[in-house]
Amino acid sequence: MPRLARVLIANRGEIAVRIIRSLRALDLTSIAIFSEPDRAALHVLLADEAYPIGPGPSRESYLHLERVIETALWVKADAIHPGYGFFAENPTFARACAEAGLTFIGPRAETIAGLGDKLAARAAAARVGVPVIPGSESAVESLDAARAVARRIGFPLMLKAVAGGGGKGMRVAADDAALATAWPLASGEARAAFGDDRLYVERAIARPRHVEAQILADAHGRVAFLGERECSVQRRHQKLLEETPSPALDASTRAALGESACRVAREVGYLNAGTVEFIVDEDGRFYFLEVNTRLQVEHPVTEMVTGVDLVAEQIAIASGAPLSFGDSPPAPRGAAMEARIIAEDPLRDFMPSAGRIERVRFPQGPGVRNDAGVYRGYEVPVFYDSLLSKLVAWGADREQARHRLLGALREFVLEGVHQNIAFHRWLLTHPEFIAGRLSTRFIEEHFTAAALDAGPEATEVALLAAALHAREERLRVTLPQANGSSVRSAWRWSDRRRQPGRVRR
Amino acid sequence: MTSGGPPRAASGTRAETAMRFWVTLEGRDTEVELHVDQGRLWLEFEGRRLEADFHRLPDGEVYSLLVGGRSHEVRVSAGDGALEVTIEGARFPVEVRHPLEKVLLSVKRAADPSAGETVTAPMPGLIVALRVQPGDRVEAGQAVAVVEAMKMQNELSARYGGVVSEVLVAERASVAAGEVLLRIRPVAS
Repeated sequence: MPRLARVLIANRGEIAVRIIRSLRALDLTSIAIFSEPDRAALHVLLADEAYPIGPGPSRESYLHLERVIETALWVKADAIHPGYGFFAENPTFARACAEAGLTFIGPRAETIAGLGDKLAARAAAARVGVPVIPGSESAVESLDAARAVARRIGFPLMLKAVAGGGGKGMRVAADDAALATAWPLASGEARAAFGDDRLYVERAIARPRHVEAQILADAHGRVAFLGERECSVQRRHQKLLEETPSPALDASTRAALGESACRVAREVGYLNAGTVEFIVDEDGRFYFLEVNTRLQVEHPVTEMVTGVDLVAEQIAIASGAPLSFGDSPPAPRGAAMEARIIAEDPLRDFMPSAGRIERVRFPQGPGVRNDAGVYRGYEVPVFYDSLLSKLVAWGADREQARHRLLGALREFVLEGVHQNIAFHRWLLTHPEFIAGRLSTRFIEEHFTAAALDAGPEATEVALLAAALHAREERLRVTLPQANGSSVRSAWRWSDRRRQPGRVRR
Repeated sequence: MTSGGPPRAASGTRAETAMRFWVTLEGRDTEVELHVDQGRLWLEFEGRRLEADFHRLPDGEVYSLLVGGRSHEVRVSAGDGALEVTIEGARFPVEVRHPLEKVLLSVKRAADPSAGETVTAPMPGLIVALRVQPGDRVEAGQAVAVVEAMKMQNELSARYGGVVSEVLVAERASVAAGEVLLRIRPVAS
């Protein structure tokens, strides 16, 4: 059983910070790597050791395979935790770790590779009797072949990339003409994104929910289901808010979904933490979608209701230890919700927003957890993910969790970059959200930029505060030059307190 | 709450004259008068009178604003030609100007040399004097009317000049903001 005393984190941002915290709690040495613009990043400040890895662009630093492995060897790391993103689902990296004698904290390389093929994953699910969305069993070779499948399963249908993920190479076709149009677009996108233009066909589910099962599998043959997460609130396949339990599942459906996830995991000989994703249709039926062979961004909601430290379990599993709870995973208690606080401008089509964090005050309070990767004065770099923080609230039930999250969002001060705190406040108070009626189309069906318009009170407060500030600063407006060509530009702020050569009293 | 308020120990009263600002934000504009009365800060705007307390936090640009009892945390930073006020993450560009500018701006807006110009009341007030009558020739910059508002007499002048074609108000009349007082027709030079 390898003793993993020194763990290198091949990641950055909030997830690197999150992993450092578990390493601390386990009394293990945390080793950070950082790119040039990340010299002052929080994960560097918090880690026991930190080593430079290259320039800003990911390809030259966090995604530079040889450099990461070399650094890990040079600093005598025992293991590498990949976090999510970067190398987390890269079988080549997992293999390179093994070849270098480093323990990769995650599934086996061949499992990652096998489940990366969406059709193979689907076939594995179907083999063990887990429902899959009706569609083609293999890649469809041509538009005509796709049409043949369409005749069998009917429209609307979906074209998906075999190598897919993140919505790339994914198209919905409502009828035959739309299919003909979508075919070249989807295969072109798939080729560009994955270097693999193979497509398969699935029936499109009208208003799907995205529900996923958290599993843990140890090297002793145990596979545990730790509850589900509903991640239906998405924009362009990017999850924004996740919660557990899913409001869509009753107890028997939940048990069936968890059992299905475990069957798939056993079928592929899964090891370590993983997430089995399902689509739930409007009638509450679930269908296998894919397996994410990594720690998910939204894993904290599961931790909040189970009390299990998933990162600690990952490390235990990687070192050959059994699951901490043996054969009986803790029963989830209460409900938890996570809001992803992202540097983006909801009023400008959610464009990412980089810049300096000018002011921060993190929320606190009962049941509140904030996994952040930023601090005051920190410059959000342009190179990486725009996730700033994950704000999580636990409650005895969904309503308490929702209220606590809403309260925490009201407390949350994060200025200097645009962020989506106001968006989350809108979301959490929307009647359909409160009722738990979610689907991946929630935002397109309900959100308009006008929803974030400031109320009359905020506008009034802004006007008053500006006048009060002018008084406070002794700002004076001088009269313009006579016949000034532009009245507005002729006016000038004059700040007595800042004028040089002027005596302050 | 429009008056009174909870009792408060009067702080050292410093003599201060009322300050008045014209504040605009995305089309909404108002005038705010600030004055200290027996150690209390009062805001007067849009016909309301509210007690306020504006306390700068150690954070620098950040204030705690209590207005009519409501607690707000606001950040005010200098932007380009305007102040940027941040409330609960939302940013508001607010222009703070001298009330007189409103007068000037309204005169400017009313002015259009080709179509002639319209002189409008920059704010609600009283016509104190009309200096012209229909048919009068006026030069650019010549005073045409005096409006009393905000306890100040504001002289309104022709921007481009021409011939007064119409006078729509009489002396001692009360006028609303934006109300057209007179029109001036350009003359071919």
